[in-house]
Amino acid sequence: MEHEKQGFVSKYVFSYDHKMIGKQYFTLAMSMGFIGGILAVLIRLQLGFPSKPWPFLENLFPVGMASGIMTPEFYVSLFTMHGTIMVFFLLSLLPVSGFGNFLIPLQIGARDMAFPFLNMLSFWTVVPGAIIIIISFFVEGGAAASGWTAYPPLSAIRSAIPGSDLGQTLWLVGMIFFVASFTMGGLNFVVTILNLRTKGLRMMRMPLTTWAQFVVGILGLLSFPALAAGALLLTFDRSLGTSFFLPAGIFIGDTLMPHEGGTPLLWQHLFWFLGHPEVYIIMLPAMGFTSDILATFCRRPIFGYRSMVYAIGAIGTLSFLVWGHHMFVSGMSPFLGSLFVVTTLAIAIPSAVKAFNWLFTIARARIQFTSASLFGLGVVSLFVTGGLTGIFLGTNATDIQLHDTYFVVGHFHFIMAGAGLFGAFGAVYYWYPKMFGRMLSERLGKIHFWITFVAYYAVFFPMHYLGVSGMMRRIYDPNVYEYLQPLQPVNLFITISAFVLFAGQLIFIYNYFASMRTGAPATANPWNAAGLEWSAPAHPGHGNWEGEIPPAHRWPYDYSEPGKKRDFTPQWEA
Amino acid sequence: MADEPKGSRGSLQGIAMAVVIWAIVVLSSLYYVRYGVPELASDRGFLDSLYYVILGITGVAYILYQLALGYVIYRYRGDRPNAESSYWHESHKLELTWTIGTAAILIPIVFTGLIYWDRVRGPAPEDAVTVMAVGAQFQWDFHYPGADGEFGRFDPTLYAIDNQIGLDETDPAAADDWVLTNQLVIPVDRPTRILMRSKDVQHAIFLPNFRVKQDLVPGMTTEVWFTPVKTGSYEVACAELCGLGHYRMRAFLEVMEEADYQQWLNDNAPAAVAEVADPAAEAPPASAQ
Repeated sequence: MEHEKQGFVSKYVFSYDHKMIGKQYFTLAMSMGFIGGILAVLIRLQLGFPSKPWPFLENLFPVGMASGIMTPEFYVSLFTMHGTIMVFFLLSLLPVSGFGNFLIPLQIGARDMAFPFLNMLSFWTVVPGAIIIIISFFVEGGAAASGWTAYPPLSAIRSAIPGSDLGQTLWLVGMIFFVASFTMGGLNFVVTILNLRTKGLRMMRMPLTTWAQFVVGILGLLSFPALAAGALLLTFDRSLGTSFFLPAGIFIGDTLMPHEGGTPLLWQHLFWFLGHPEVYIIMLPAMGFTSDILATFCRRPIFGYRSMVYAIGAIGTLSFLVWGHHMFVSGMSPFLGSLFVVTTLAIAIPSAVKAFNWLFTIARARIQFTSASLFGLGVVSLFVTGGLTGIFLGTNATDIQLHDTYFVVGHFHFIMAGAGLFGAFGAVYYWYPKMFGRMLSERLGKIHFWITFVAYYAVFFPMHYLGVSGMMRRIYDPNVYEYLQPLQPVNLFITISAFVLFAGQLIFIYNYFASMRTGAPATANPWNAAGLEWSAPAHPGHGNWEGEIPPAHRWPYDYSEPGKKRDFTPQWEA
Repeated sequence: MADEPKGSRGSLQGIAMAVVIWAIVVLSSLYYVRYGVPELASDRGFLDSLYYVILGITGVAYILYQLALGYVIYRYRGDRPNAESSYWHESHKLELTWTIGTAAILIPIVFTGLIYWDRVRGPAPEDAVTVMAVGAQFQWDFHYPGADGEFGRFDPTLYAIDNQIGLDETDPAAADDWVLTNQLVIPVDRPTRILMRSKDVQHAIFLPNFRVKQDLVPGMTTEVWFTPVKTGSYEVACAELCGLGHYRMRAFLEVMEEADYQQWLNDNAPAAVAEVADPAAEAPPASAQ
């Protein structure tokens, strides 16, 4: 297959090449993640030092931090946008859209994704979404301020909070762009994996990363349209006077609203029908990366490959049956709540299978400690910590007290955000040589890991203490409550740790961009890894392989096979 | 292996990883013990017991797993003498063990949880003191039905500064109704049933000391019931984001001895109580103010 020589625009801007599109997603996701991180720092600033004036910040946020003190409405916008940006524009875009696009063709032996044009379109659909989300900070009333869950009526009625004016409209428009992009991506993933696998690459020989992306593609296709529908209906309620989510009798700002007949619970069902699979859209790729990385650096096959695949499938399937666990105390029928307990805690079983398989992959290994493998080991630790706290929340009886407290914030920052982020970091360290033909600095990578790992626990573990002690999430100043005042030292500790955590990420950003120019040149297979992607040249061009596409003779985990000379047998060798 | 990534077999990283994981386990667990649930003032102690049982099980799982993780990282670090990794990668027996083992631990938790859920979410006892909580940005109004035990009708068109809950005064049942703002008073050792509705956006009533939390949803009446077992003054919080003043949507819950509660009703309920109340009822006529 010949590929024509490309000009600047067709190579770097409107590229059809899955690898370039993957890298475009990286740049976008990392920029958004950086902004999301700054928002987190500001949130922690307020919680660590409630209402303390920071005069220099007035220059940056003349309205939100007039005279240097954060306003409550700005605080609400901050955590709303932190959640939105991190969940959708970092943790979905980087591991799924970024790595999915970059890795799937390389791992299955394809020249490109099945629909390269759709792929490009998908990227250029999410860009306006991201721009609209960022612009919403600068409109009158500020950015959306109804939480990343955007529960109506708060999100539906413009006078309910300043951010529910233009900011919320832009949020909804941004999300619709995002959903459109993500759905195109999911379709592309599924079709590519089903149709374009190289000779010999049976489904049960695929790397777990590709397995995860396959299931994620299906999850995205089935769940995101629910959010699109919800966002459209909410837009109608806001702009056209419909009442999908609004009942009669709402009285805000001395005005009786003209709506009647809707229910806010409908939005919660639509939102969480996406919202819960979304958690696994973030988690599953991280699980895949971790499995691939651990096998490579433990020099050992992944333990229980078959059960890992089944676990991915089981988690993906169950993820559609658990959304009601976000709604135990929402006014939903208590009987329904009980059903969701059973499905929710059932997810613990495939999750435990993954955790034990990883442990047994590490046992009897010969671990090489690279930045990638350290982050992979980090995922295992965070995943178990966050998974166990889920049992408290999935059991409706204990959820009553912990619901909407910092216990929940701690929980999902470990299981979803933490494992998702560490998995993505590990993946960047691992596949960077294939992306840019150069190595990342291992020295900086290890510093980055140690700061991130320790600071991550320091930030998010104490949040469980706060939650158990009864501190609600999304409150601007916990000291309003007498019973929360003794917790201020914990909040201060978390804030300081969060600053360290953020600073640590600057090392990564520097390493990522500087190594593109100054990193040591990479060989085609610098880690002696067995996966098919390592058969491509160090910096593969358009079309990935210069000659024939190599066939797959085996699974990608043949490490330390007895009787072989080398400690790995590449997938493409007979 | 000559061509391994440089420095990747250094013992320092592996030992450090093990030590750090162990240190995190020890510190995080020790500190956990220092933070307990807020002092219990209701009959929902069984929810606390379940919480502590789950804490025990997950705590042991957390400690054992992380210690094991630290151990295998330390034990199988690449630079140990005669390092070799094993090709062993499947064991149906082991995989079945931890699949069934996890399920076996979870099933009792699930069923206990469901039984307890049923207990707290079942219908309130007949003799419960009933109050209607009306949530609004950013205020709690507690609507007492008065001696007739019936709430007067409300009409959203009647919301006004001096009628925060939109009570329809023409409804006979409304005659003895009265409202407390940001304060709820209930007797000890008698079930309390809180019905709730919202004027504007969603709120959630959170009584940290009573293990009670329930959303207020516009267009719906939700409810919760519990029995306070300790007198005193407690904080009531809003736990569902409701706007810029969400953080200060706070009220107080006063739990009184039965006799004090009756006295308090006498002193505070409006005179209408006297007109409607049956002299034999528990609330004697209020004295003129």
